Amino acid sequence: MKKKVLSAVALSLAAGLFLTPLAAVMGASFWAGGKATLQNYDDLLFDCFNFYPMFWNSLSYAAVILAVQLVVVVPCAFGFSHAKFRGKSLLFVFYIVLMMMPLQVTILPNYIGLREMGLLDTRWAIIIPAVFSPFGVVVMRQYMRGSDGLAVEAMRLETNSIILIMIHAVIPQIKICIFAVALFVFADNWNMMEQPLLFLESEHLKTLPVFMATAGDNISSALFPAAVIYMIPALLLYGFFSGSLEKGLTFGDLK
Amino acid sequence: MLKHPRLSWNLKCKLCLAPSLAGIAVFFVIPYFRVLYYSLIDNQFSRSFVWLDNYVRVFHNEYFQLALKNSLLLIVTAVPVLIALALLISLALTFGIRKLKAFRAAFVLPMVIPTASAALIWSAFFSWWDSPAPLYLLFIWKNIGICVVLMTAAFSGIDDSLFEAAAIDGAAGLQMHAKITVPLIMPTIVFGTLLSIVNSFRIFKEIFLYHGGTNYPPDYDYTLQYYMNNNFLKLDYQSLAAGAVMTSILVLLIVIGGLSLQRRYSQ
Repeated sequence: MKKKVLSAVALSLAAGLFLTPLAAVMGASFWAGGKATLQNYDDLLFDCFNFYPMFWNSLSYAAVILAVQLVVVVPCAFGFSHAKFRGKSLLFVFYIVLMMMPLQVTILPNYIGLREMGLLDTRWAIIIPAVFSPFGVVVMRQYMRGSDGLAVEAMRLETNSIILIMIHAVIPQIKICIFAVALFVFADNWNMMEQPLLFLESEHLKTLPVFMATAGDNISSALFPAAVIYMIPALLLYGFFSGSLEKGLTFGDLK
Repeated sequence: MLKHPRLSWNLKCKLCLAPSLAGIAVFFVIPYFRVLYYSLIDNQFSRSFVWLDNYVRVFHNEYFQLALKNSLLLIVTAVPVLIALALLISLALTFGIRKLKAFRAAFVLPMVIPTASAALIWSAFFSWWDSPAPLYLLFIWKNIGICVVLMTAAFSGIDDSLFEAAAIDGAAGLQMHAKITVPLIMPTIVFGTLLSIVNSFRIFKEIFLYHGGTNYPPDYDYTLQYYMNNNFLKLDYQSLAAGAVMTSILVLLIVIGGLSLQRRYSQ
């Protein structure tokens, strides 16, 4: 029993320590000139007009990438678990390896692909390569290993349409996994900085991290409120979907 | 079609893969071969093959060596700490007092917090400290969540009867966990380690934003991703391509090693 109390105290301390940075960002955003104030928010919302388009850019990129990515990823994971062809498992290993590749490896191929298609310095430069991230495919395919194919087989007796089968027999089964992937994909793209820095020239297309990296030169008081507002969409989404993380995010035995 | 319903079903399933495969081919695989080609030629204009010269040059470049050293240092110091901490936290969350399960959010939440917000408070706290340690802390803070999620899920999946049997044998507390629980989730630990190593290669915007958006951080924080980024800005495609190919081979070896280790533990 003593041990349990000890571990509980240690756990509470650690949890407090992990939350400190969040509390500190929020605290600092309301602190200026030695007292609690809304002045920083005033500086951000009324003096930094480039904050709004950048916020909107980040939000629209992340939302569009998430929506289109799910349309690509769900059928692909379904294909991996139901199609039969030679080299399927090797292809899946390739997806795993690609998922693990750091940005410094993939960003140059992305750049070359975009340049060939004349898409540099457009919104598509940010959106299209991100849509084809292999992460969701790997996680969903692993999750589907755990679900049985009976619903799909039963549905096949009724209809020939693979789209109907996907909507009625596949998506309901993997809903929790879709939520977990959605949370990850949104948080990842909401956080995107390297691609906007390297693929975009036009100021009006850039994203929030770029604001955070450059605004300090002009109005540093606006940085902390910006950091708080920047966290909010991710926190909201976490609030909604965190319950699905543990059950939905099974990498399982990758093989 | 009607004669071979099975065939057509299989064909439809294969077609489901097509959009993803096409996108990956156009933006990853085909351009990767271009990168490979860039890494073997002298420059964008004369385009004559110099084979491995770029690799040799990059490898002897002092900034590449510095970046490689710093990236490897991050792997051998921060990753073990991260895994050990995640393991202890997951044990306490799963087998500790039930009410404290809600604390899991404190460890998982940083995962979704934008790096820019975190880096801002980090630089406010730690800018006096001339050391890579603050960035290691940021790396651990941001990346522990995924390991905690995976490990608590693995711990919860363990059959309770195993603990009862161990309790009868007189094992208890940390000793029991060290002997029974931890070995049981070894595949998850290996995978968490692999994921953390891979994530450590990605660390760039953390450092970039921590140092206020500079392309020239102090030497101790100059990582591989920085090297790549600066060559991108200099438009030095040959160094960039050679660096990318070397990094991809390194990561490929790490991933294959990690996965085969994981497979060995799961049998």
